[in-house]
Amino acid sequence: MIKNVIMWAVLFFMAFVLQTSFVSNAAIFSIKPDLIIIVLFLMAMKVGIIPGVFIGFIIGLGQDLYIPGVLGQNALAKTIAGFAAGLFNEKVMRVDPFLEIVLLLFTFILNDIVYSLVNVVKFGYSFSAFGMSLLTFTLPRAIYSILIAFIPIFWDYFFKPSIKR
Amino acid sequence: MHWIIGLIKKNLSFFSLLLTIVLSLLMISSPEEARLSTARTLTMSVFYPFQFTFNQVSRIKDVFAENIRLKKEVTELSVELASLKEKGIENERLRGLLNFTQDFSFDFVPVRVVARDPSLGDWTVIVNAGKSSGIELFMPLVGDRGVVGKVIKVLGNLSQVQLIKDPASRTSVLCRRTRTISILGTENGSDFFVQCRKHEDIIVGDTIVTSGLGGIFPRGLTVGVVDKIAEDKNPLFKRARLKLSVDFDRLDELFILRLSPRWMSFRSEIDSLRLLK
Repeated sequence: MIKNVIMWAVLFFMAFVLQTSFVSNAAIFSIKPDLIIIVLFLMAMKVGIIPGVFIGFIIGLGQDLYIPGVLGQNALAKTIAGFAAGLFNEKVMRVDPFLEIVLLLFTFILNDIVYSLVNVVKFGYSFSAFGMSLLTFTLPRAIYSILIAFIPIFWDYFFKPSIKR
Repeated sequence: MHWIIGLIKKNLSFFSLLLTIVLSLLMISSPEEARLSTARTLTMSVFYPFQFTFNQVSRIKDVFAENIRLKKEVTELSVELASLKEKGIENERLRGLLNFTQDFSFDFVPVRVVARDPSLGDWTVIVNAGKSSGIELFMPLVGDRGVVGKVIKVLGNLSQVQLIKDPASRTSVLCRRTRTISILGTENGSDFFVQCRKHEDIIVGDTIVTSGLGGIFPRGLTVGVVDKIAEDKNPLFKRARLKLSVDFDRLDELFILRLSPRWMSFRSEIDSLRLLK
């Protein structure tokens, strides 16, 4: 239990540090992967809804505190993303890697929809800009992130004997 | 009371979600500046050493390519410098003739980006110079290709910079050729435009520079180039879409202009007016 907590804490910390430093070097046409959502998704898939919700909230809040934006915007988006990922956790259902990839894509889209809706409500951004941002920003970012997430997802599935197939 | 606890226990997942959503919504709707200030200071101090180390490692791989590029640039700039020196002398002479005075003087503080905003938009960066280097609030940050942003928070050895691509950042700009003044606009932080009246003679290829009107950026810093003219929602206006000259994914060595805003000396008066409102 404690070992798991430490492992996830370290992973989140690493993801946060890499996201704020190294990841911009890996940008392709200004599209960057989002390591924080990947780790949140993997964690929620392993441990369930409640940790997914609370850790999503804390991680989102951490992001909100780090940047000069709307306090609570990332917290809300990550909370809902953590909840959605937790719904399909391994304790509830068996998820093969391909379904996991689809769920990760869904988590990304959900996170960005919530985040952008706050912009629409709070700053009056237009819905057309919201839709365009989903197409031109969210989808490429999700696909790029999924390519990275392939490694831990397939590693977990094929090399961890504890997972029942 | 017991039945409430029972209900919560039975639907713990739902109530967890509800609680966190309510907390988030409360935060979204509350004023945040004072509480954030302390929290940001703490976060920046905690993460800085790690981000600095990662940045150094990732920078090494670029050193060789950068060296070749810099040598080429030095050669080009030497030629340009010689030409500009001539023009400078000419300019000085003409200014003297017209009784023009120098409207700004400042020096450059070289800085490096040590951390970036981890959120969706990537609106801010943290640079490795702060109060100890004489950095103050609202000093402009520029790169070799143009204006990058402005300092919005200063610590001992670090500063947080709001990039001009942040939709919340309102940068006053002008078209270098036509002198049309406008505000740099964006709705998503990746597509930029300036809104101008329909009859304005703004064309593809026009260079957009800072206007100097906001008091933060000096006049004439390159912002970008017009790459498309499009219709605006308002039929009286049109939109000139911009390609920004700075590549915000490749920010590295930059310079803070040690130049306080022109309105800094009467900032207290401005603040008191805001309080009255």
